[in-house]
Amino acid sequence: MKSLIAAVAVCVATTAHADLPHVLDDHIRPAIANFANASAALHEVAVQDCSAPAVIPAYHQAFDAWLGASHLTFGPIERDGRALAIAFWPDSRGACPKALAQLIADADPVVDDPVEFAEVSVAARGFFGLEHLLYGDSFTAQDYTCRLVIAIAADLERMAGDIATDWADYAQVMTSAGAEDNTTYLAPREVDQTLYTALLTGVEFTKDQRLGRPLGTFDRPRPTRAEARRSERSLRNVVLSLTALRNLARAMADAPIPASEAAFDAAFDTAAALDDPIFAGVSNPTGRLRVEILQQKVAYVRDALAAEIGGGMGLSQGFNSADGD
Amino acid sequence: MKSLTIAMALTATTALPAFAGKAEVLNTYADIAQAGYEDSLTTARTLQTAVEALIAEPSAEALQTARAAWLAARVPYQQTEVFRFGNAIVDDWEGKVNAWPLDEGLIDYVDAAYGGATDENEYAVLNVVANPEFTLSGTDIDASDITPELISETLHEADEVESNVASGYHAIEFLLWGQDLNGTEHGAGNRPWTDFGTGDDCTNNNCDRRGAYLQAATDLLVADLEWMAAQWAEGGEGRTAVTADEDAGIVAILTGMGSLSYGEQAGERMKLGVMLNDPEEEHDCFSDNTHNSHYYDGLGVQNVYLGEYVRVDGTVVSGESLSSLVAAADAATDAALRTALSHTMMELGQIKTAAEAGFSYDQMLERGNEAGEALIMGAVDGLVAQTREIERAVSALELDQIGFEGSDSLDNPNAVFQ
Repeated sequence: MKSLIAAVAVCVATTAHADLPHVLDDHIRPAIANFANASAALHEVAVQDCSAPAVIPAYHQAFDAWLGASHLTFGPIERDGRALAIAFWPDSRGACPKALAQLIADADPVVDDPVEFAEVSVAARGFFGLEHLLYGDSFTAQDYTCRLVIAIAADLERMAGDIATDWADYAQVMTSAGAEDNTTYLAPREVDQTLYTALLTGVEFTKDQRLGRPLGTFDRPRPTRAEARRSERSLRNVVLSLTALRNLARAMADAPIPASEAAFDAAFDTAAALDDPIFAGVSNPTGRLRVEILQQKVAYVRDALAAEIGGGMGLSQGFNSADGD
Repeated sequence: MKSLTIAMALTATTALPAFAGKAEVLNTYADIAQAGYEDSLTTARTLQTAVEALIAEPSAEALQTARAAWLAARVPYQQTEVFRFGNAIVDDWEGKVNAWPLDEGLIDYVDAAYGGATDENEYAVLNVVANPEFTLSGTDIDASDITPELISETLHEADEVESNVASGYHAIEFLLWGQDLNGTEHGAGNRPWTDFGTGDDCTNNNCDRRGAYLQAATDLLVADLEWMAAQWAEGGEGRTAVTADEDAGIVAILTGMGSLSYGEQAGERMKLGVMLNDPEEEHDCFSDNTHNSHYYDGLGVQNVYLGEYVRVDGTVVSGESLSSLVAAADAATDAALRTALSHTMMELGQIKTAAEAGFSYDQMLERGNEAGEALIMGAVDGLVAQTREIERAVSALELDQIGFEGSDSLDNPNAVFQ
């Protein structure tokens, strides 16, 4: 224990903490509120007119809003597996179309009961369930799939609302880190560690999954594995995710982070010049190289953040959900 | 917080117990790895003998004996999964023996409901047992002789698709049990013994090739386990790597514990299955042995922390433990981690108990099955909680700066500014 006290003393003397009020006020709370509002709007639109042309703009806005918050994978978003239910991807076994086909084939009345619908397979829910319905061939506004679209939108609104409610309490849990009755965060440093883990994990997810999956290998590129390619959101998701992560990094940092800023700028410039919204180019050598360069830029973002924020605060990345296979 | 204060007072007033050190802790860890892989090898050899007997003289009894041998072989193997994520030598190898989930239609016949080739996998229904010749990624393959080499070098992860699992425990499991067609109802795969029958006894055709596949896959498993057991013997590469640098070795132990607990077991294997309500997400789905698979994974994590492993012959391998190392740094952190591990084992034990009493794991996954979901999520929560305590142990040992994964920037901070 003595050594720990010594270590703590050293930390206090030499390393800074994340600016938690700044992170909460300028990053987390607005992102969570934005997602809740956009999901409510999506549901409202779907109830009025469940046809694809009517729903698609609201779908995009809500998905955009989710990308502002999706990297906050701890606490309320992790609770009850909400992250999976909101955006089940990657779907390496094609569970999404299978689960939807099953509901539609059975004309499963579960769509008419919001409580029951919350128990449905995550593969049939959230943005990817919606995407398959809005952009697939099976969608006709008059029949069962219309009710399914409304049910998914309602379910998203419910989860986004629950997340917003839970964050009101969870912000308090983070703020009171180290207090006697706080069993989640035994010290403020654990809050820093959680934020930092979310930050790096978010960048790695974009690098390894959003970009890595369609890239596949040189001999076997996998363009059909690009995220949300049906709604042509693959590149957009990369950009929005990086934007959210830059916001988090800026809010966390207690000192300038010039290398990280430069790395983000380079990644955004590369993304803007890519002109390949669904990474279809991975199948030819030139197009592939361009996506690989973007992936490289995202890798630099990760390394810059690790050096400036991790190094600056004496933090290391904790365990994350991508640690498995 | 009170207990922490007490612990502080205790360590401040009493002399620390004589403590051997990190080198001894790492030796214990390597000893447990060696024993675990040796036990996996012994039990796989028993399985190999049972498979030989099944093929030489097919019968319902012989099939049952082989299945029992497979189940027994899983007990020590699952306890070694904790060595995966911290040790490159294990992680690079384990896909050959325990890859999952698999598109089993690659290997043998499947039910029509299984579907055909998918966007992800062109060869999901290749059916090697039925086809002595086929084309794979543009190459003509002669599979008239099903050998361990054919399985490991040509079929496994064919077309760079991970679910083309041609080797290992789960390929063997599929050949012994067949598909579980019961959905979220009770019941495992029900392959008839006559699938290995000779002459007129043979069902579902190609019984000789099916037997040859089973034999080759089992022989391959034994060979792979022989190799891994040797890596942890004195002078073996696994043992040498983990003992070479003491701090890195301790981090490897904790990394293996945390990565298996959180990302792999709590997330990929347990939570995802519940949230998909999909019995195909069961880890040992053909045999309905998932409750044991999870239980022994959890036990493996506890083993390496407490520095104790009960071998399949009942003898015990034990020594200086990571627990005592953490306790010497911070008794409260050690106590919290031990409590968390025990709690998880109780939760996993409840799943095992219920499953053995007839409420099988696939039933727990059924949509709206609240009791099943509560059982599984209880264990998931336990695994998540123990991961937090593992992170605290890393901090208590002041190993934070090592990093859980190698990274350019941590190894070489200047790299990012170039």
